[in-house]
Amino acid sequence: MSSDFYTSSILPYSGIIIKICRAYTDTQEDFEDYYQEVCLQIWRSKDRFRGDSKWSTWIYRLSLNICLTLIKKKKKKRQHHASNHELTAEATEDNHAFSDESLNLLYDAIRKLTEVDRAVILLYLEEKPNKEIAKIIGTTPNNIGVRVNRIKERLKKLLDGKIN
Amino acid sequence: MEKSIETIWKEGFLKNDALVAPKLNDLYNQKSIHIIDKFKRMFKINLNALVVFSFVVLVVAFFVKIPVLGVLMFILFNTIVIVNKKLLKGLNNIDKNVNSYLYLKSFDNWMKEQISINMKMSRYIYPYIFLAIISGFWFSSDFQETLNRIFGNYQAYMVYGIPVFWVLGILFIVILLAIFGGRIYKWDLNIVYGRILKKLDETLADMVELRASN
Repeated sequence: MSSDFYTSSILPYSGIIIKICRAYTDTQEDFEDYYQEVCLQIWRSKDRFRGDSKWSTWIYRLSLNICLTLIKKKKKKRQHHASNHELTAEATEDNHAFSDESLNLLYDAIRKLTEVDRAVILLYLEEKPNKEIAKIIGTTPNNIGVRVNRIKERLKKLLDGKIN
Repeated sequence: MEKSIETIWKEGFLKNDALVAPKLNDLYNQKSIHIIDKFKRMFKINLNALVVFSFVVLVVAFFVKIPVLGVLMFILFNTIVIVNKKLLKGLNNIDKNVNSYLYLKSFDNWMKEQISINMKMSRYIYPYIFLAIISGFWFSSDFQETLNRIFGNYQAYMVYGIPVFWVLGILFIVILLAIFGGRIYKWDLNIVYGRILKKLDETLADMVELRASN
């Protein structure tokens, strides 16, 4: 990947990629792998960007799809090595943290959601309008509105009493 | 819970360390190891399959009374396996303690050498297979009987006891196989290893561009 492309077209949007990758990974190691894979795929797919959406929206969509693909692959692997993996995941969960404790708790709660719900709430928290979220996820804006409320309720329950 | 999730999100990401992008460094290492391991696995499986196949051909050939064909094919398949097992040793000797570009480059060089040797061998292998088939049937008494039944009193044109047209026909096919042996091998190679070789080319091209831009 050319470093020019990375500096000019990916790095300014790295926040988006980081936020998404964090939501789909349990460990720092996985997070770094996902981040690198997303960057590599963005670079590889850059010629397919036709400009009919914003570059940032395109990065969102691509990052989500790549993370969803990677998590599916990981789940398949996990089915093969079920017992070993459970132990590893539990043991390394603490390595994956921000300095802000509330944010860590919120991320832990987000990771308990389904994969699609994680995508929806990430886009909502990034203040994307329902119409844009619907376009990225592939559903209707009304559906997104209902879904966001339901996810927020779930998150509140998961975080209840944990954050002051 | 007092803070809303929106506030936690906004405030959390205001801190400087929250959005530090990791360095892009290890992905190519993982990819290159994955590609080479996958190739090694496929290569070993194919060589073992060839050994098993050589025994099957030998047994079947004796069973259907064309033992010459069976023996010749058995010798051929096992020679191919021995040569390629030697080549595989070279692959295992590739130094893993180098960066992923050099690792992949060494693998690519090994691959090119392996293809070149097998292409040269193929110029002899395909004519050999053809001649083995002809000899197998030629020395099979059952097949001779079948030929006599089909052709009846047919007499081949002989010069000094040699069926000239038959020999010329066989020679023509042998020459064609010798000329196109390399291409047939490449076609065969693409069917078996095409996808993994394409992946190797893509990854190497990525890495060359990455090195050029640094």
